[in-house]
Amino acid sequence: MTFREELWKTYYFMKRDIISFATYKTNIVLMIFSALFGALSYAFLGANASVLAVLQTYHMSYTTYLIIGIAFMTYLSQSLTLVQRTINPWSLEEMLVSPTRLVTFIIGSSLWGFIWSTATIAIYLTVGVLAFGVVLSVNIIGTIYVVFLGIGTFIGFSMIGAGILILTKQGDPVTTLITIITTLFGNVLFPPQVMPEPLRTIAFFTPQYYFLTDVRTMLTGGSISSIYRELGILTLMFAIIVPLGYFVFAWCLKTSRKNGTLSWF
Amino acid sequence: MTALNSGENKTVAAINHMDLKIKKGELFGLLGPNGAGKTTLVKVLCTLLPPDGGTAIINGYDVVKQQMQVKRSLGTLFSVGERGFFWRLSGYSNLEFYASINNVPHNIMHDRIMEVLRLVGLQDKSSVFFQKYSGGMKRKLSLARAMLADPPILLLDEPTTGLDVVSSRSLREFILNDLVKKAGKTVLYTTHYIEEASQICDRVAIMDKGKIIALDTPEAIRNAVKKGEFVEFVVQNITEAQQNTVRGLNGVISVTAEVQDAVLGQTRLRVRLENLEALPRLIDYFFKENMKLVNFKREEPTLEDAFIEITGVGLSE
Repeated sequence: MTFREELWKTYYFMKRDIISFATYKTNIVLMIFSALFGALSYAFLGANASVLAVLQTYHMSYTTYLIIGIAFMTYLSQSLTLVQRTINPWSLEEMLVSPTRLVTFIIGSSLWGFIWSTATIAIYLTVGVLAFGVVLSVNIIGTIYVVFLGIGTFIGFSMIGAGILILTKQGDPVTTLITIITTLFGNVLFPPQVMPEPLRTIAFFTPQYYFLTDVRTMLTGGSISSIYRELGILTLMFAIIVPLGYFVFAWCLKTSRKNGTLSWF
Repeated sequence: MTALNSGENKTVAAINHMDLKIKKGELFGLLGPNGAGKTTLVKVLCTLLPPDGGTAIINGYDVVKQQMQVKRSLGTLFSVGERGFFWRLSGYSNLEFYASINNVPHNIMHDRIMEVLRLVGLQDKSSVFFQKYSGGMKRKLSLARAMLADPPILLLDEPTTGLDVVSSRSLREFILNDLVKKAGKTVLYTTHYIEEASQICDRVAIMDKGKIIALDTPEAIRNAVKKGEFVEFVVQNITEAQQNTVRGLNGVISVTAEVQDAVLGQTRLRVRLENLEALPRLIDYFFKENMKLVNFKREEPTLEDAFIEITGVGLSE
């Protein structure tokens, strides 16, 4: 066993990993975008323009903006991966042979996650209020409505991702793509208004932007009439994505059952 | 009934125009090699896989049109069912969850869980995390799960897979004595172990390439193999080439071989002869080749012989 032989071994370890890695072509593209978007996000975050834009657009301190954004993203993250986490092939088969409806299974499987997310959000907001002078003036009905729309829309995305996962057995590009988009365009760490015009336009097509704009307004004393447009767009996105997600998921599940490949992923 | 399975590049008939009736209270064995279509049939019957043609009726309900009623009539144990359990929950908590999704009423849930745990002998391990269960315990818990809602029909897909000899026997006895004889359950029991089906089943269907190719009592199927005499030899140090020579000897119909003792180099040959006149020729050959004949005896035809007779291949092929 020489040093040269050991070097060759390490080469073959690496070769194995490169060949394996190269088969995940979508993943490679997404990883490149993820790195690119991450770099841009932190660049915009570091710009003083963020603080100014927050003050001008949302009329709140940057700390308030940041804490609400990060806190309420937990709902969206929870929703985005909800169906995928629920439908591992084995528990899915056991569920499908039981007299329990799929919707009951998904809702039942998600409850604890949302209770935990709510507790997390409460901790964020409490720390914000007590330690960082965040001032909240909550419109409870408005907040519940916005949260309902946001969670619903992201569960719609989750159903599309889960459907693709069940059908193709090759991972879920939807979740990865939305996570990457959220990093840069999601209105979580900085407002899209600080970005150049073409990038800013992309942000206005993402439900995250409208969800966080609406929820921030509802938590800081804003009126529903002041976000009439944003709320309307989020409602429209909800109305399109939820049925679309359900249709895609149901179709993929049916096709996979028909092909007898349900437990293959 | 017909069910198609789509692979990467082709579609095959996993169940091909099958016509089968199982009586109430019967322990029915479905026997066949891997890929015969047994699991596909179980998946169709439990509504997991829609048939591409024909109908399947469970307890009077259509598996396509009346899925909820079918699901309430069935308990299913999948061949790899233990993966559906939650590893960081106790056996009891796992069953509690599955009892709820199988409509076991809340007020009787605890008693029912304890009852099925007692039936499978896991009552003392109910609070142990599932991840600490042995393979046999996991299998028993899968069976307990299938029985939770006390369904009249049980689909048991290769229930003894992965179990040791003692656990397998104990599980088979439990299925025969407790589930079928005492509780009057109807059981569809799939296996590729011939002796299992032979020991406990009232009737056996042999399935191959999606079709039922024989259907009768184990005894009747064994008796169907009338032609020839069966002799079992235990021989020391026989080579592959010598086995092939035996196969070609005059009067030899078929030979199956399996290693009996690898350390001692002993091989068990099950030889089917046209008649006993061929036996001296065979023994002469062993002596001529200087092979040590450890043992030999006449045998009755087994289900495996029947399977080979009917399909033309062994179960391992």
